[in-house]
Amino acid sequence: MNVIKNSLVKMTYKQILLFTVIGLCFAISMIFINNNYSFYEQPIAKVIQTELVEASDITDMNNNKDRLFIQQIIGEIKNGEYEGQLIQLTNKYSSSGAYDQQFRVGNELFVSIDPSKEEDSTLIGSITNVKRDQFVVLVAWIFIFVLLITGKKQGLLSIMSLAVNATLLSFALDLYIKNPSISLVLICAVSGIVFTIISLTIVSGFNEKTYAAIIATLLGTFISLCIAYIVIGVTSGTGLRYEEMQFLTRPYQMVYMAGLLIGSLGAVMDVAITMSSSLFALYEQNNDISVKALKASGIDIGKDIMGTITSILFFAYISGSIPVIILYLKNASLLGFTLSMNLSLELARALVGGIGIVLTIPIGLYTTLYFVNRKRARS
Amino acid sequence: MNVIVLLSIILFLLMMIVGGKKGVRSFISLFLNFGVIMFAIFLMTNPQWNPIIITIIACVFISCISLFFINDVNSKTIAAFISTIITIVLLLFFIVIVTKYAMIQGFGEEEINELGVFSLFIGIDFTKLLASVIIMSTIGAIMDVAISMAASMHEIFNNNPSISRRDLFASGLSVGRDILGADTNTLFFVFFGGYLALLLWFKDLHYSIGGIINSKIFSAEMISILCAGIGVALSLPIAAGINAYLLVRKREKQQA
Repeated sequence: MNVIKNSLVKMTYKQILLFTVIGLCFAISMIFINNNYSFYEQPIAKVIQTELVEASDITDMNNNKDRLFIQQIIGEIKNGEYEGQLIQLTNKYSSSGAYDQQFRVGNELFVSIDPSKEEDSTLIGSITNVKRDQFVVLVAWIFIFVLLITGKKQGLLSIMSLAVNATLLSFALDLYIKNPSISLVLICAVSGIVFTIISLTIVSGFNEKTYAAIIATLLGTFISLCIAYIVIGVTSGTGLRYEEMQFLTRPYQMVYMAGLLIGSLGAVMDVAITMSSSLFALYEQNNDISVKALKASGIDIGKDIMGTITSILFFAYISGSIPVIILYLKNASLLGFTLSMNLSLELARALVGGIGIVLTIPIGLYTTLYFVNRKRARS
Repeated sequence: MNVIVLLSIILFLLMMIVGGKKGVRSFISLFLNFGVIMFAIFLMTNPQWNPIIITIIACVFISCISLFFINDVNSKTIAAFISTIITIVLLLFFIVIVTKYAMIQGFGEEEINELGVFSLFIGIDFTKLLASVIIMSTIGAIMDVAISMAASMHEIFNNNPSISRRDLFASGLSVGRDILGADTNTLFFVFFGGYLALLLWFKDLHYSIGGIINSKIFSAEMISILCAGIGVALSLPIAAGINAYLLVRKREKQQA
């Protein structure tokens, strides 16, 4: 009884320490992000007054009705040589807000100051961007808190593995930019192996269960990527509209392939670890369980998770295209053209991911069986 | 032959071989869900209708297809359905607030050049559209949590029929924690994979860290993916609570 009590006290001390540290990090980062004006070279203005000066209805060439507004804004410069001075800005925005935005008091804007039009003490300038860092950081903190509260230790571990993976990916891309002669797909394949090993060992430790999942993930991803290569080769890429791929500074097909690899990795890992941990759990419950029974349960588990995990990928990829599809349709584009322009790459990603998921079910089953049999032979 | 068609055929064959009848149903449900999304997009082009309401209705259809069509209507899928819908409605409140203040709707300056031929004044509220996009991107993961938790909590309940509501809730949560890690991982790799080109672009054009974080396109993606993760985490206690409530109520009814 005393032991339990003591360990409870210890646990809470540890937890109190952890939560204090996290709380402090939160407070410091929020104070920093709301006062980091001096770290930016571009002048930042905080909106202190807005006034609507004009509102008009417009109808575009496709008969879409919208409302345009013009807003006069007075802002206070927060950094640089003009710090403390007032600036006058003009903002045009529409009620739909596809590429514009109404500003409210308290918003912070990156501005460029027009020195030629200085009158009295009020500067004149134009808005170049919005300062959004405080929102990104705040939502990131909410994410961390929600994950810690509901996920406890597992939540902490998954936050850690996400952070490590993001840093690694950034390093891998730096490496590629410095050595463009190495294929991006190769770099991503190597980092894929590292991601898999790190994510799976962080979540379930060094044991046979994890080794089986790592091998299954790597095989599943590799084979599904080969299928994607062959399919694109055989069809010579018909139906894939690479034009839609934005932000291209590099050969598009390679970037797309590398993205395919990374994108399906998480889902394939999910399947592999589910298969191996549930089969190992069955083996540990009953050491004499037959290979046939394990196979049957493995296939059953696979059938259950197959549909839901493919739909995770499917919705995550497709949903991002909704706004641009609506923009195309409202500009009188034909439905077929709109869909093939905006969905072909995303659908192909989701399908390749789905192929990886389904393939990993038998692959995971057999690699886990191999490890179970090895363990059984040893004991 | 078209890449998409060929890949779909391969996926269909694999699902059929590995998953049998259930595999075929899973494939058909993907197809039906695609139809629901297309129909929802079509409805959203009408400026009079609120995209968020359309999204909620679409989510009800999507969960019906993914839960009831693949697994039949039973106490597990009903519990999963209820927890999915409650999570989505709660998450929507959060997302509507975030999208209203973060100013991340619509298109970023990096994207706008290619859309130059189009009129951007189409009368559709892009802020609400963004809330719809975030919900749609996470519904797959929320359903995954809901159905996995319903299945394992039913299992726990059947193995130990006299378990108290509180213990059932706690063991449900501990099962859910494993799924939480896997699903956030899946979503984040989807994000990394989909935006590899964008990350390379930022690095090639020597964006500063401040430039990246404040750019509309990056912050929008980051906030969306974080909201999706929040949704998954939020669905754990909701699914655990609903299952514990429904299972214990069923037992009490039988005893009475």
